Amino acid sequence: MRTERLVQRLLGLAAGCSVAVTLLIFGFMVILGLPLATGGTFFRMFTSAWLPHQGVYGIAPMVAGTLSIASLAVVFSVPVSLGCAALISVLGSGPLPALLHRLVRFMTGIPTVVYGFAGIFLLVPLVREWAGRGSGMCILSAALLLGVLIAPTMILFFSDSFASVPRTYLEAAEALGATPVQKLLHVVIPCSWRGLTSGVVLALGRAVGDTLIALMIAGNATAMPGSVLEPARTLTAHIALVVAADFDSLEFRTLFACGIILYLCTTVMVIFTRRIGAAWEQQRW
Amino acid sequence: MVTRLIDRSVTAFAWLSGLVLTASVVGLMGYVLIKGMGSLSPRLFFGNTAPLDALLLRRQVFDGIFPATVGTLTLVGLAIFIAMPIGIAAGIYMAEFATPRIQSVFGLFFDILAGIPSILVGLFGFSVALFFHHRVSDRIAPCLLISALSLAFLVLPYLIRTTQTALENLPRHVRVTAPALGASRLQTIIYVLLPQALSGIVSGVILSVGRCAEDTAVIMLTGVVATAGLPSSLLSSYEALPFFIYTISAQYADQAELMRGYGAAIVLLAVCALLFTLATLIRHRLADHLFYGTR
Amino acid sequence: MSAQPRFKIKVRNLFFSYGENVVLKDLTVDIPDRAITAVVGPSGRGKSTLLTLFNRLWEDIPTARMLGSVQIHLNGSHRDIYHRSCSLSDLRRSVGMVFQTPNPLPMSIYKNICFPLKLAGKSDRKQMMPAVETALRQACLWEEVKNRLREDARSLSGGQQQRLCMARALVLKPEVLLLDEPTSSLDAAATEIIEQLILSLRETCTIVMVSHDMAQVERVADRGLELSDGRVVLK
Repeated sequence: MRTERLVQRLLGLAAGCSVAVTLLIFGFMVILGLPLATGGTFFRMFTSAWLPHQGVYGIAPMVAGTLSIASLAVVFSVPVSLGCAALISVLGSGPLPALLHRLVRFMTGIPTVVYGFAGIFLLVPLVREWAGRGSGMCILSAALLLGVLIAPTMILFFSDSFASVPRTYLEAAEALGATPVQKLLHVVIPCSWRGLTSGVVLALGRAVGDTLIALMIAGNATAMPGSVLEPARTLTAHIALVVAADFDSLEFRTLFACGIILYLCTTVMVIFTRRIGAAWEQQRW
Repeated sequence: MVTRLIDRSVTAFAWLSGLVLTASVVGLMGYVLIKGMGSLSPRLFFGNTAPLDALLLRRQVFDGIFPATVGTLTLVGLAIFIAMPIGIAAGIYMAEFATPRIQSVFGLFFDILAGIPSILVGLFGFSVALFFHHRVSDRIAPCLLISALSLAFLVLPYLIRTTQTALENLPRHVRVTAPALGASRLQTIIYVLLPQALSGIVSGVILSVGRCAEDTAVIMLTGVVATAGLPSSLLSSYEALPFFIYTISAQYADQAELMRGYGAAIVLLAVCALLFTLATLIRHRLADHLFYGTR
Repeated sequence: MSAQPRFKIKVRNLFFSYGENVVLKDLTVDIPDRAITAVVGPSGRGKSTLLTLFNRLWEDIPTARMLGSVQIHLNGSHRDIYHRSCSLSDLRRSVGMVFQTPNPLPMSIYKNICFPLKLAGKSDRKQMMPAVETALRQACLWEEVKNRLREDARSLSGGQQQRLCMARALVLKPEVLLLDEPTSSLDAAATEIIEQLILSLRETCTIVMVSHDMAQVERVADRGLELSDGRVVLK
């Protein structure tokens, strides 16, 4: 009985440590970023440009870069993912959809850096030729590649929630003579909108959080991007680039502001998806 | 008539989506494979150094990916060594001991840890190294140990979740077997639940290994460098495959170096594919086990 | 040892619910010693729940609540099994249970039977073999498996697996044996063997079984309890 309690304590300690790490990551960023807030530059930072030579360290262009690349990636990826998920779980027949399912699962294991590497030497030249100007390293290229990267997250989530639609509903629709497409449009999709929303939010989170694709493909310019064919820098890439350059300066401190934004974004998305999930659980009972 | 049109176009769209996705992935990966296939040889790893000399650490390798491969292996080994006991223990706690309230609160934190961009974990590792550099000893800088710790934090939530789900998914009739025979909670976990959930847990560990091996964002802030040779101690900087691929893509001196980049990309892809297949196979065996085994 | 009591189990004013759903209401019943008591009634009326009340196996279900008392005559006196002084492990070693679906563990036949001994901390290898043989003989399985004790228990047929589970419950020499629809997943031939087995165990322990098969209850049980609206009707 005493060993049992000891083991329980040890296991609880491991769980507690893991929670502590999560809090510590946030705590470190707040403490190291705090001088910004007391210096009064904290809020100006979100609206001004990045002009290190003039001593202005605004991160507005990076916020814009992150938002445009991530949202564009999701816009590209949602329809394709929806189509693939529908093919896998409702519309498709024969061996091909099963193969596609396997490919999608395999995609989750492909290293991001390999995507980026292939993107630089294959996708970037294509975009450059198509656009007819610039280096090809731009928001569009990054968003296209990121769209491929986040697709499996969505497809797997979508097809799982399609599969969890109660069989009785499907049978009812079938008995009324619905075609597979009608089943999809009138039964499956309406019944699984919670799963669909969660999937999109999760994929958006992945797109916002990804560092490598943007760092390798988007061109990393610090100017405010004007169109999708211009280069941009994301918050994540900004963190990677500035750390590599400098150690203890105001410039470096702005990274923690970037970090706090990203952390809070994640937290909001996680809480949102959990809420949806919780409501969904309740509905099932 | 309209129905048929909708039917046709939706179906066509679905097939088209599948085609687009397959084409992009096969195109991207196929491009790397075709371009890089020619560079796959012992020379890719060892350059002009004799393989045996390099393996026995008699001579350093300068123009091959051997140091990066060794760096990645060491790094992954260390990170998993740190993360595995904590992750599995926390997973067991969550599944078997935690009250529903703790489950939901802790679960929220683990979801956040799993969701935050990996670069933030890297930034955390970097800040910690900086903190210790100023406060404790100036010998501490971003290094192999800091990278391994940060990667461990990165995969911790995956390990916890896979362990927790593997345990929670055990059917009730498996769960009550041992208690009905007078087993204590601990005995039930050790003799029945963990063995039955083992394949799920192991495949989670393997997927975490893959995650550690492919991650670039964390290590680029915490001590990886372009040329360091083999890591000499836990506190030294090191090379790693994904970072090598990243640097080559950003700046390559000549065609030979670029070809090494392709080669390294194929090696990393192969390693991750292998780990992924292994994890899938083990998980399938788990399904068989539960399905045919205990009926 | 004191004289054997007339009633092995005494249930007093028992209420039991899962969340909002009240399963047992003010249940008071006595279960006679060395006899086979069958609990019958339509499904979903708390028959299996009643069994798990006797070995406290319901306790890990989050929403379950219980009021009232259950006393079982163990080691010579009636004890409240929900009292703090009552060890859960000891209780479950004296009150064995066999489930609806056979649940052999993924190990050899021999190890399956030894498992409860190992849990109880009895690791003397010399005593293991006789104990295993006795239990398997009691469960009428010895002749069929004596030459294949090292084989995986899951290679046995369904009926054999269920008898293995009976043997596994019997190896600890329980005073009470709870059977939750032990034949519901078996064919007619296997069911008959299990029924013979249950009858042969009547002299060794008090048996409480759940069954939905009235004919089976007629064949096997000394006494039937019918649960209706959370209360008991004697048959």
